[in-house]
Parts: sequence; C-alpha cells; structure tokens
Amino acid sequence: MRADAKGSPGVVGVGGTGLNPPPAGIPASTSRRMRGIRLVLVGIGGLLLAWGAFVMLDSVRLTRLPGVALWIAAAIVLHDAILAPVVFALGIALRRVGRRATGTVIAIVQGGIVVGSIVSLVAVPTIVAKNFAPVNASVLPLNYGLNLGIFWLVLAVVTVGLSVGAFLRWRQPVAAFPDDSGR
Amino acid sequence: MRRLMYEAQRALASPVRNPRMATVIGRLLGAAFLICFGTGLYSHFLQEPLGWMRFATRPEFLYQVTQGTHIVAGIACFPLLLAKLYIVFPDLFAFPPVRGLVHFLERASIALFVGASVVQITIGLLNTYQWYPWPFPFRQVHFALGWVLIGLLVIHIGVKLPVITRYWSTSSPSDDHLVDAVSGDRSANAEAVRLWGLSRPGGVTRRVLDYIDATPRAESRVSRRGFLTTVGVATTAVVGLTAGQTFTPLDAVNLFGPRKKGVGQQGVPVNRTSEQAQVADAALAVSWVLTLAVGGTERSFTRDELLALPQTSVRLPIACVEGWSQMASWRGVRLRDLADLMDADPETSFRLISLEERGSFSKTQMGREYVRDPLTLVALELNGETLNLEHGYPARMIAPGRPGVLQTKWLSRIEAI
Repeated sequence: MRADAKGSPGVVGVGGTGLNPPPAGIPASTSRRMRGIRLVLVGIGGLLLAWGAFVMLDSVRLTRLPGVALWIAAAIVLHDAILAPVVFALGIALRRVGRRATGTVIAIVQGGIVVGSIVSLVAVPTIVAKNFAPVNASVLPLNYGLNLGIFWLVLAVVTVGLSVGAFLRWRQPVAAFPDDSGR
Repeated sequence: MRRLMYEAQRALASPVRNPRMATVIGRLLGAAFLICFGTGLYSHFLQEPLGWMRFATRPEFLYQVTQGTHIVAGIACFPLLLAKLYIVFPDLFAFPPVRGLVHFLERASIALFVGASVVQITIGLLNTYQWYPWPFPFRQVHFALGWVLIGLLVIHIGVKLPVITRYWSTSSPSDDHLVDAVSGDRSANAEAVRLWGLSRPGGVTRRVLDYIDATPRAESRVSRRGFLTTVGVATTAVVGLTAGQTFTPLDAVNLFGPRKKGVGQQGVPVNRTSEQAQVADAALAVSWVLTLAVGGTERSFTRDELLALPQTSVRLPIACVEGWSQMASWRGVRLRDLADLMDADPETSFRLISLEERGSFSKTQMGREYVRDPLTLVALELNGETLNLEHGYPARMIAPGRPGVLQTKWLSRIEAI
C-alpha cells in the first residue's frame, strides 16, 4: 500500500509527492491550470537555482566549495538530529511536569523558554566574537553578557507572572467573576 | 522501519503541526526571504553596477533603509525559519523515504533548502559581528546562496501550491494533520496494526514510545495560539533588541546590536580601521595630495588648497552593508565643483582611489548621478572637527544613498572614466 493512500479523507499531506494530481473534487480545468502554474514555478525556480550554482562556481574557488557543502550538510544535521529532538524531549518533559497545570500555563512557560533561547541564539555569538581580539572598538561595543542576563531576568519575571495569573484564573471557579459574565 | 517511522510521526504530532500553520508561517518566512533577496540585490548592484545602471540619489537615507531592512528581515528569519522547521519536522519521517524520482528530487530540494537557509542567515548574522569562522569567502557565497535560495523558494511554492492555496485563507481547516494518518490519538496504534499488520517493536523502543504515549497531549486551541504568540514575541524581541543600530527610536533598547549609535571616533562607528587598511603613514604624510585626472590633465590639491575652495555642509547618514547607520554632519568640497574646475563632461563617471592598496574597495566607481549630486562631497570635516584618521583623513567621499564601503576613505586620486 502506498503511504499516501492511508490518510483519512480530506487530509493533505504536506509531504505529498511533488506533482501529484490535486485532491478529488476540484474541477479538471482548475487542476489543469494549477498543474500548469506549478510546472512554470518549478521551471523558473530551477533556472534561478542553476544560475545560483553557476554564480557559486564562477566566483568561489573550487577548493573552497567542499567547505560550503560541509556547512550546508552540517546545518541539516544540526537541526534534524540535534536541535529538533532536543526541543521534542523538552516539550515532553514540560508536558509531564506540568500535567497538573492548565495548557495555558504550559504554553506560557514553553513560550518563555523558546523566546529566551532564540534571543540567546542571536546574542551568544556576540559574546564569543567579542573575544576574538576586536581590531575595532566600535564593533560589538556593548556588554552583551550583562544585557543577556538582564533580558533573561525580565523574561523570567514576565513568564512567571503570566503563568501565576493564568494558573489562578484556571483554579478559580468561573462564578467568582460575576462581572466577567459579559465577556 | 515503517512502523518506527510511523511511531516517530505519531509521537511528534501536535496541534501546531498542521498545514494551515505551515502556510501561515511559510508566508511570513517567504516574504522575509524575498525582502532579503531584493534589498541584497540592490546593495550588490550598487557595489558592482552593470554599465547601464543608474541609481536614485534621493531620499538620501535610501540605502540606510534598504540595508537596515535587509538585516532586520534576516534576523527575523531566525525565529520564523525555526518555527517553520518545527511545524514540518514530522515530514522527515515519511515512509517510504523515497517514492520515485520526483519524490526524491522534492525531498532533496527541501534538504538543500533547509541547509542553505540556515547557513545563509547564520553567516549573514556573523558577518555583522565581523566574525568569520567558516572556510569560504563570505561575500561570494552569500550572494550565490541568495540566488540558490530564491530558486528553491520558487520551486517549493510550485511543489506545495495545492497545499498553500487550500490553507491560504483564515477559514481553511486548522485541525487537519500535517502527516497522513497521524492523528496522535491512542486508536492510531490499533490502526497501524490493522493497516500493515505491524505491531509496536519491543524492548527499549517500546518503553520510550509508551512513555511518550503516557504524556498528556496539548490542548489544540491553546497550543496554536501559544505557538503563534511565541513566534510573534520571539521575532519582535530579536528584531526590536537589535534594530536600534540603524533605527534611532529603538536605540534605547539596543541590547544585542553589533553597533551602537554614537559609538566610535567623532560619534560615528568605524568599519575598516586605518590599521587594517595600513594607510596611517601615507595618510598622515605632509606630502599628501588629492590628484584629479580628467582627460589628459591632472591636478593635485593639498589639504589646505581643498580647504580654500568653497565649502559645503551636508547632513548625510553613513550606512554600512552590515546594517548599521549613523547620521552625521560633513563639511568639504562638492565633487561637482571639483569636476567643473577640471572641465569634466557632466556625463562622466569617476573612479575613486584610496591610499589603501589591498582592500577590495580601494578602487571604486561612482556613477554620474552621484558625481553631479549637490550633496556629494570630498569631506574634510566630520561633526565639526577635522576628519579623524579612522574616518578617512585627510579626505574621504560622502554621497547620498550609497553603501559605506563606497564612501571611499583616505582618498588619493579621482579619475574621470
């Protein structure tokens, strides 16, 4: 049995085969036009991709290209084999730890961690780069470690505040807020 | 293997991982990519114009805006790209992994798309920190990857067009699952057994999967709203806390920008130092002159002779390819006046040559639209003081709407082309 035949009706797998016919129920003329547009897009994209490859070969010395390929491959491995599984495991852990809390609290805590991590992703390299003997005092002039610490502190306070608020609202019986009945 | 892939997809299933969400985040990410590509091309052609190209010199902060936008959109790509990859991650475990040539090409193009995107935004960000820990040249690779990515984006849109159109509008279903047959509920296990006669593997694998199964599932509506809010807040944070390096109203919350307004000699950040350019001796020598060459005639000006010519004051930003910018007051001789003094044809473009001998921008060209612009100066003073050596003493170019690398410092010679 083909993998794409096992779905429930109406489910479109984003991972579906590239130029498969569209789902049933769409008029043939629409599907022909759709197919045409898709072929044109794939064609144009292919040309742009080929041009990019040419520019790469034309402007970068051949001995440097393995480095580019290595970085691209490493980026895929870094995301698919390390970052995504870690995020998955953290999500599981958080849902288990928070099994007594409402989904809103879990979502808030999760959001806080994600926001902090993404800001750190951008900020931590500044701290590292600053250590490489800055030839120029106007590049990376700030105290990024301190700023990142302040950011996490503010983020933690806001996250905890919102979580506590959400938790209290969740525990409180609705009747305790007669004024809110209009909402 | 089929069973394992199925288990992986089932374990990863989440209310957030649905095609509507992929479309919503994908649109934003696609827009950011297009903005980066457009502003990047503009910056590229300013630096390496094709012969027929002419550029707008007004508004004078044009390049500050286009390049500031390039960096802001690039930084916004970090949360957006991670969000997009989070949504479609279960797709990685599709089974069978390859269903034929077209499917193989599709998956290969997506792998390249993911890898190249991550590399592109990473090297772009680190370039703004002037940190180059990779074994290839930045400018050439960043430019070539720009074309590669835009090609892959167009291919991706073509491949996913049915999904994109189906889930484009707000009324489209948000409960559909990203991956076929993965609904995440417990009965799915029985379904797998029914479909393929494959039961769950034993041993450690089984215990891990049972553990995951025993974890409470997230509530759909809360997860989706939480996810979108998180992406919004993260994007706002990374952009808001760095954009102060070019966008003055955000200067006060510039916590992580690699540059700070007003930090640098004479209140202006510096990109290339006199030490890097190895020009200090030549620039500080009493024998320094600025030579103008038009047609067969050459004429040299000492700094005092330049100061004796009519002086013009302008306020122009210096705006760097790395995304920072700084407004400043400049004073010096209009390039147009010097050209007229040499009887240069108004249609002439100029070549600007620095004392610097090695750098890639030691010789640059300036189209006639900038040469004739009344704001284009051979600057001798900055913010009311004699130009600092780090800002190009004895004389530098300053013109409206050009990247900082073309605002040639330590001028030595100006030639008509």
